[in-house]
Amino acid sequence: MPKTLKEVLAEAGSPMDFESGGHSPKEMVDREVKREPHARVVKLKDIYMDTLSSANNEFPYWYTREYVQHDTEIPVVRRAMSLKSAFSHSTPVIYPGELLVTHKAAFFRGSFPMPWLSEGYYMAKEDELYQEALKHGSASADEHTKFGQGGGNVVESFDKVISIAGKFGMRQEEIPALLKLAKAWVGKSVDDLGHKYEQMVPDYAVKEALMRNVICMFDSGYTLPQGREVINYYYPLEYGIDGLLDMAEELKAKVAGRADGDGIKGTNRLFNYEAIILSLEGLKTWFENYGKEARRLESIEKDAGQKAEYAEIAERLEWLSHGKPRTFAEAFQMMLTIHLAVLNEDAISGMAPGRIAQVLYPYFEQDIAAGRTNEDEVMELLELYRLSMSSIDCFASTGVVGGVLSGNTFNTVSIGGLNKDGGHAVNRLEYLLLEAGLNNPMPQPTLALLYDEKLPEDFLLLAMECIKTGVGYPAFMNNQIGMTFMLGQYGPEGMTAEEARSWAIGGCLESSPCCWKPLHLNGKEYFVPGGAGQPTSVGVHFLAMPKILEAVLWNGVDQRTGEQVFAPHDRKLATYDELFDQFKLYWQKAVDVLALTNNIQHDIWRKNNMAVITSMLKPDCLDRGHLIDEKGYRYNATFNVESAGTITCVNSLAAIKKLVYEDKAVSLDELKTAIKDNFGFKTAEEVNSFSLSDQEQRDGDTGKWDKLHFMCLQAPKYGNDDIFADQILLDWENFFCPDCRNYESLYAHTMYPCQISVSTHGAMGSATIASGDGRLAGTTFADASLSAFPGTDRSGVYALLNSAAIWDHSMSQNSQLNVKIHPSAIQGPSGSRKLLDLIQAYMRKGGFHIQFNVVDTKVLKDAQKNPQNYRDLMVRVAGFTQYWVEIGKPVQDELIARTEYEGI
Amino acid sequence: MTNLNCRDCRDFAPIDVVKGVCHITKTTVLGDAEQCGDFSMMPKCKHCSQFTADAETVEMGVCQASTMEPKFFAFPDMVSVTCEYYEQN
Ligand code: SF4
Repeated sequence: MPKTLKEVLAEAGSPMDFESGGHSPKEMVDREVKREPHARVVKLKDIYMDTLSSANNEFPYWYTREYVQHDTEIPVVRRAMSLKSAFSHSTPVIYPGELLVTHKAAFFRGSFPMPWLSEGYYMAKEDELYQEALKHGSASADEHTKFGQGGGNVVESFDKVISIAGKFGMRQEEIPALLKLAKAWVGKSVDDLGHKYEQMVPDYAVKEALMRNVICMFDSGYTLPQGREVINYYYPLEYGIDGLLDMAEELKAKVAGRADGDGIKGTNRLFNYEAIILSLEGLKTWFENYGKEARRLESIEKDAGQKAEYAEIAERLEWLSHGKPRTFAEAFQMMLTIHLAVLNEDAISGMAPGRIAQVLYPYFEQDIAAGRTNEDEVMELLELYRLSMSSIDCFASTGVVGGVLSGNTFNTVSIGGLNKDGGHAVNRLEYLLLEAGLNNPMPQPTLALLYDEKLPEDFLLLAMECIKTGVGYPAFMNNQIGMTFMLGQYGPEGMTAEEARSWAIGGCLESSPCCWKPLHLNGKEYFVPGGAGQPTSVGVHFLAMPKILEAVLWNGVDQRTGEQVFAPHDRKLATYDELFDQFKLYWQKAVDVLALTNNIQHDIWRKNNMAVITSMLKPDCLDRGHLIDEKGYRYNATFNVESAGTITCVNSLAAIKKLVYEDKAVSLDELKTAIKDNFGFKTAEEVNSFSLSDQEQRDGDTGKWDKLHFMCLQAPKYGNDDIFADQILLDWENFFCPDCRNYESLYAHTMYPCQISVSTHGAMGSATIASGDGRLAGTTFADASLSAFPGTDRSGVYALLNSAAIWDHSMSQNSQLNVKIHPSAIQGPSGSRKLLDLIQAYMRKGGFHIQFNVVDTKVLKDAQKNPQNYRDLMVRVAGFTQYWVEIGKPVQDELIARTEYEGI
Repeated sequence: MTNLNCRDCRDFAPIDVVKGVCHITKTTVLGDAEQCGDFSMMPKCKHCSQFTADAETVEMGVCQASTMEPKFFAFPDMVSVTCEYYEQN
């Protein structure tokens, strides 16, 4: 049997001790806090747990059918006509027991392809899909409806179900239609047109090489062009659909034919308002169709209670198809339907609802005061909302859905923060929202707590209870750091300190600009926060730092593929400074070319596929008459540069600096040879584990690299309050953050850093050879941007916090730190207190974000072996919570390996 | 009407590509299960007089109500409760 790295190190007297601060009990320990939602929620959740991600072609069918008829129409109007047709023809589906209704598509967990964004995947797979569709039809369905690894993902085709991208199931009967629709968009999709024009960038070959070698993970222009932003529900809540239609008609008449001083875009306002009107008409019909379905169900229902509920639902939808919400339930339904409408407009991940308990509070306050509802009814709706949000799937390309999103769609709800006047913004509904997260633990919406010293103590302690359920939320975000970033980034567009207080998290961890709007209900005015900026995670996406370092060491050549990615630098790398300097130069080269090509993709998107519905919702599009493509949003400086593998790269630089340049214990060439030889180990792929400790030595390995490998593993590591490694992180941040300002988005604003890994640390790690820190080929990078590499943070959790807080987090849109804690370490009220102290200590040091996995590693190991027993186990990955069975093995392995804190 | 099953029933609320909730019995049923005595037909293109089946591909056809030339395609399994041109065969 070949030895694993864990065994090798144990024999060498330096065991890989992944427990810090003590030892966990021998037996598996469950999480301390467990609760149950309302009976109706349990029933519907049972359905959810057994539901496959399903897709159909209804929406793309009607969208395309309308679109092809209007090839001479103004693009924005043509797009709105298509959206109107698609929404008007979407089949409503309501399940018994639902109170909040509407679904993305006519399934419990439905979605659909958007070939107008990208059709290449279906075209490339045309033959395969067609053959699959012909082949299946014999096996029984029952045998495939059991869930194990994969959860609700349709990982392979079966019976009459065709797996698309290992995630979505589509009925065999629909495959020819899917291919026909995809064909209609060949050469016309954002992907195809973008590709045609991005090739005109002089350094396009570098971009291609960066993508082929997985140095950059994905294009943002056609994959997920919207999202990672905060939606705004204000207009439909304040005016209702008819009110908005009237407003748009009035404004259209006012601007028709008028430039009003803007000779380029002024007259476009007419077409934009026309597009808004068409979209609203589509939404109106969508509401009406759902209302009709509720009435139909009422008419056939025999059970008196269910019949009355259908009647109530029908009344609500009929009212909302034209009027503004009057009650909490109406406002909640409006919010949900509008949210789904936006998600159907584009392939979107991370359309965060924002601070919904603050938006819905006026209705809650008045309904409770008037006795129209009670907290139990409100709680039931809040629990149901979690089910609706967790059922959202995003149909995007394979790499994006699996490799980046892990199937999550990041509809983050923010809580806490400050109100317009600077007081804390916590209200009674926020407590209930947190409680709902406890009662009905589901991946979405994940909760982001905007931590401020002003927040009430009991609210924070309730948050600790929630974290102890092991759901991974709420994550804590530093409100003051967030506001400082907001003012720095959006001050030039007019953001004031008062407005900065309205910010919230978009996506999983993307700080997003928002604003206050005055909501009126029964004569009372409330200022509610809502999104006011463009998508805040578009631009250069996921640039793998360890791979760039590899290119530096090998003169621009990727060692996995042998391809010359960057032009040779031909430098001797005689000093650490020279090495780091070259690293920065390659980094800049990559960012520059990716910024340009992504600008072109987004430009095609804004010209042909612009957001109409999201735009209409966002201040100040309606007032100005300009949509996203014409900078109608209040804040447009939202493009960013996203890094990946920060800590793996920092640790590698630290090891090289120490061993090669300072101690001269090994020459750079010899270290490179060892790295290339994977220190005598097999690859992660061969071992089928992506965790470092499980890696096995090659058969017949002579152990010639053992000593050097040991030295690399023992070299200074980030996460131990050791200035040697932490200084490298500081140097990097002090370069990276301001450097982003050197790149300009298509909206002519400078960019900024975004430091989250989502799931790319798994996918990118698997495409990276060994590194100087002793990490082996194919193993997962350190998660997030400030999590320590598994097993390397050996000096206690406070040392980790000191390392993480060494740089100024307000220079960046975010930072991300995940900590795994054994449930026994934070048991009881004193455990909650300790956890809160820890969080507050980090926030006071200037840390931006921290979140926790409260789980026993033994449970995770068992879940990996017996996934069928763990359908509902949830874990925190990067910035989101996901079902264990729905995340890929590389990320699972990293979670198992991550240092477990036994005491804090 | 031959070969109609739960997926073709108006009271079948699809949960996913395999199964759905029957609004009559309130139970989960497989979409491909045989229709029962309470079956009521779901409007689909295949039941529409405007639909012309494709000679070669059974899953495809043409919608004669389409206002463009050549007429836009349709597919027999598409639900058409919201189609304003639907006319039952
Ligand atoms: S009229 Fe509607 S239901 Fe009939 S074939 Fe055309 S699209 Fe299908």
